[in-house]
Amino acid sequence: MATKDSLVTIFGKANVLDDPAVLAAYAKSHSFDPGFKPWYVVKPKDSEQVEKLVKWANKTKTPLVPVSSTGVKLRGDSVPSVPEAVVVDMSGMNKVLNVNRQQRMAVVEPGVTYDQLNKELAKQKMTIPGSLKAKAGQSVLTDVVEAVPRLNPMIQWNFFDPLRCAEITWGDGQRMFTGEAAGGPRDLEKQWNNQTWQVLYMGPWMTDYFRFVTQAQGTMGIATWVSLKTAVKPLVHQLFVAEADDLAALESFVYKAMWTRFPDEIFILNRAQAANVMGKTVEEIEMLKEVLPPWIVAVGVAGREIVPEVRFEARSKDLIDIAQANGLDLKEGISNLSGRALYEEVSGTDKGKTYWKDVYAGSHQNVFFLTQLDKTGMFLKAVREIAEDLGYPTEDIGVYIQPKHLGSSYHMEFTFPYDPDSAKQEGRVQDLVDAVSVAVSDLGGYFSRPYGKWAGIQLNKDAQSASALKKLREIFDPADIMNPGKLPI
Amino acid sequence: MALSRDFFRALEDIVGKRNVSEDPAVTENYRCITAQSSAHYGPVNTRTPKPLAVVLPGSTEEVQQVVRLCNKYKVEFKAATTFWAAMGFIGSDNAIQIDLIRMQGIEIDEKNMIAVVDPFAIGGTVQVEAMKRGLNCNVAGVGCSSSTLAGTAGWVGFGPSSIFMGIASENLLGAEWVLPDGEILRTGTLGAEGEWFCGEGPGPSTRGMLRGWMGTAGTMGVCTRIAIRLHPWPGPKWIPVRGTAPLYMADGLDNVRAYTVCLPDWEAYAKLFQLFYEADICYLAHRQFNMFGRDIKTAMVEIFTHPELQFRDIPRLVEDPYLKEQNAQMKVDVQIVMAGFSDRDLDYKEKAFDAILAKVGAHKSEYYLQQDIEDFVKLYLLRLARKNYNYTLCSSYEGNFGLHPNVWKAAPFMEEAAALKLKWEQEHTGIAAVGGDSDMGSVSGIGGGGTTGWEFFVHFDAFDQESIKNADAHIEDTQRWMFEKGLGVDFGRWNADCRKNSGYSYTQDEHDAMYSKLPQPGIATYQYKIREAFNPNRLGGSYYKTMTPPECK
Repeated sequence: MATKDSLVTIFGKANVLDDPAVLAAYAKSHSFDPGFKPWYVVKPKDSEQVEKLVKWANKTKTPLVPVSSTGVKLRGDSVPSVPEAVVVDMSGMNKVLNVNRQQRMAVVEPGVTYDQLNKELAKQKMTIPGSLKAKAGQSVLTDVVEAVPRLNPMIQWNFFDPLRCAEITWGDGQRMFTGEAAGGPRDLEKQWNNQTWQVLYMGPWMTDYFRFVTQAQGTMGIATWVSLKTAVKPLVHQLFVAEADDLAALESFVYKAMWTRFPDEIFILNRAQAANVMGKTVEEIEMLKEVLPPWIVAVGVAGREIVPEVRFEARSKDLIDIAQANGLDLKEGISNLSGRALYEEVSGTDKGKTYWKDVYAGSHQNVFFLTQLDKTGMFLKAVREIAEDLGYPTEDIGVYIQPKHLGSSYHMEFTFPYDPDSAKQEGRVQDLVDAVSVAVSDLGGYFSRPYGKWAGIQLNKDAQSASALKKLREIFDPADIMNPGKLPI
Repeated sequence: MALSRDFFRALEDIVGKRNVSEDPAVTENYRCITAQSSAHYGPVNTRTPKPLAVVLPGSTEEVQQVVRLCNKYKVEFKAATTFWAAMGFIGSDNAIQIDLIRMQGIEIDEKNMIAVVDPFAIGGTVQVEAMKRGLNCNVAGVGCSSSTLAGTAGWVGFGPSSIFMGIASENLLGAEWVLPDGEILRTGTLGAEGEWFCGEGPGPSTRGMLRGWMGTAGTMGVCTRIAIRLHPWPGPKWIPVRGTAPLYMADGLDNVRAYTVCLPDWEAYAKLFQLFYEADICYLAHRQFNMFGRDIKTAMVEIFTHPELQFRDIPRLVEDPYLKEQNAQMKVDVQIVMAGFSDRDLDYKEKAFDAILAKVGAHKSEYYLQQDIEDFVKLYLLRLARKNYNYTLCSSYEGNFGLHPNVWKAAPFMEEAAALKLKWEQEHTGIAAVGGDSDMGSVSGIGGGGTTGWEFFVHFDAFDQESIKNADAHIEDTQRWMFEKGLGVDFGRWNADCRKNSGYSYTQDEHDAMYSKLPQPGIATYQYKIREAFNPNRLGGSYYKTMTPPECK
């Protein structure tokens, strides 16, 4: 049977796309890495269709590339690296399958966005702490599976929190649940009837299956639902901010604040990144870059259903005292930036027509990695020196530092805006990203999420990890059909 | 089975003559009662096989060479350190025991709140070193005399501190792991950067093979060093104590408060847990002293806090009207410790605690508000140093029921479970009569709350055949009841599929038969494939649960 006929048999005619313009859109991303236009795009409606597709792909050796988010593609991981691939567009599977207030859990399909999930959660006075100003079409599932840093590291006991259990169709076509959900019937309704709410993410035995699909860029399998740890919605909340002239001045405060666990949210932005977050136009961003301080640390404090005001007041005052003891003035706002307005921007999704990092210059490139707080200054210095050498304006470099996993590690992200219509600027940024990536790696920056060229940089540093990963890939994707070309090993 | 002379000489070459032995006087000591549960000297009256030799490597490199040697000679091996339970011991006559007792290092990165620990860094030592720096570590229910590494990488690892500090899995950062074939895998940042702070990735986390809900119990190579996440400790650099040995109490922990909550019923108990999770006020939370039994728990606490009292005083104390009344009030109870990171923080936690008690109709036990008893509880729960207390009542115990991780699911069954145990206590002499309910366990098995630890203690006499048989029969009955109620595997049978009653490993065929009815067989067939890829000579034994996939038959 011809490929299209096979796909139509599984998905129906309307859900198999091959219009060249449509296919071209799936090949476009911010990444400089080369990509291929997919052969077809399919739109599954349920897990059974996904399972059938993967089994068919194993027989026909057809590459599959899952994608769940809509809108601008930022990293290139969902663009095929090989020809004749089928893109599996999961955005149509967009049901919030369950919300459980008692357990603070939600179960969502891949196409569910933050706005959609928060709307459902709000009905039960719940919320999900998100990532920094996620794009409107951002799949929550992809965000958590790809371990995008969260604004609230204090409820991340596990590195991958809030990700809990998942349903995965592995690359070999076998579909299973993970964590405690794998110990029962492969039927969510039956599990819920037995009061199993997919809370315990480990195992279920001595293998953490969910870990094999994290940070994998779709190379191990396709997740068709995940359960998520959510939070009780605050009744009182304030994002406090403090300014500093240099990054080092924030370090002791952040360490101490993390030690107390008083903050709800905590993150650092430099002037350019704060301006990118807040500014809706080039002019606004330019203006903000004139008036904002070089560095900002933001700390959120919340009070929930149990004595909310007492908690809020105690933690606010303590954090203000800690800041003062560390030479900072933590306030509800600084000149030209209120904490409340900043919180609205960072915790909500991007409402602009143009993705927020693209407003200033038309496009951008990111370099992000994991490190520890006391090393961030070293990376900052190195990146600025490289930018200066290449003639890139250092004042345009956005910096975002986000503690993860109770502060065990810190996500450090550099954003380089550039004009995509200027070949000169594009070439310079490409050189800059390449040079920065190598320099960061040389200095010990860890590309835990190794997109594009970072995969080679990172995996070449650790042959044994690459070998172990290869063996795992051969188990879960023996025919090498899952997003081949990504994470080459 | 005799050990090849070449193999033995090679072991001597690797670790030195003084660190390897095949003397029966030594090897006999590396045998264990074949407990079926994870942690206790259970009611099974046989021992694990005697190892061909015992070897004590002193470094990762030596471990690697030993493992490679075992692969060359096809000799099974199992590494352990503090040997809490049967899982640390071999399951074959063709096996050696690796004892990692020589590897004891601890390094602490105070600023970044990370400890790098060797296998024989025990929880108590890690905690002492951490507290000097304003930090603390999750001490799993196994207690502070057990290896932090084993509890973190090798088994389950939750305890009273897990609500604030997470289960061991959540604290595991980088790991140095001698794989079963002798290769060394360094997870996350350790492999590429030589840094310990992240154990995940790059890309999909190979760490997923190291442990899941539970660790691999020494069946998949040897973890030689790990980094763990430390947590804040707002108390002094060491815990001052008072009292007469061994009945110590914490002294002067003014910003640490310990309470026992008395609840009206099990529904309130479940609601209390939920609110504890949401209010974020617990430093430690455990149902602890009920492990001695509903009728005698205050008598035992009296004995532990008054050096002049003896176990012979139990009958008198049990009849004491005041203690009886306290036991009645604490029919449904739980212990909680709160730590203040500032005066305001402690004030918030106290107010939140009071508000929660009011919401669920609970009150603080006045018995536990006595200063000496509060200070005893603080030290007990902070250190978990008194695992010997578990054995004091009858010389041995086993855990059973294990109900369900969701407190709301299990709570309605508690009284029925207690009644079943009480029936056994009354109708048989083999297990201690303590009032039925002897449930204990963590308020949360994971960081931030969400799952609960359940375990009834069955106190029995390990030196009495009738008692052993009765305890075993009781657990068989509770397993029947658990299945009947849809509550899953009884805690006392957790490891029934890991090793036979004879002490030997199961064969692959036996495991295949056991797991053929799994609702989701992938959990066993993928583990088979992982074992074949990383442990091709199958040198780990049957604690690693596998089922042969159809395509491999």
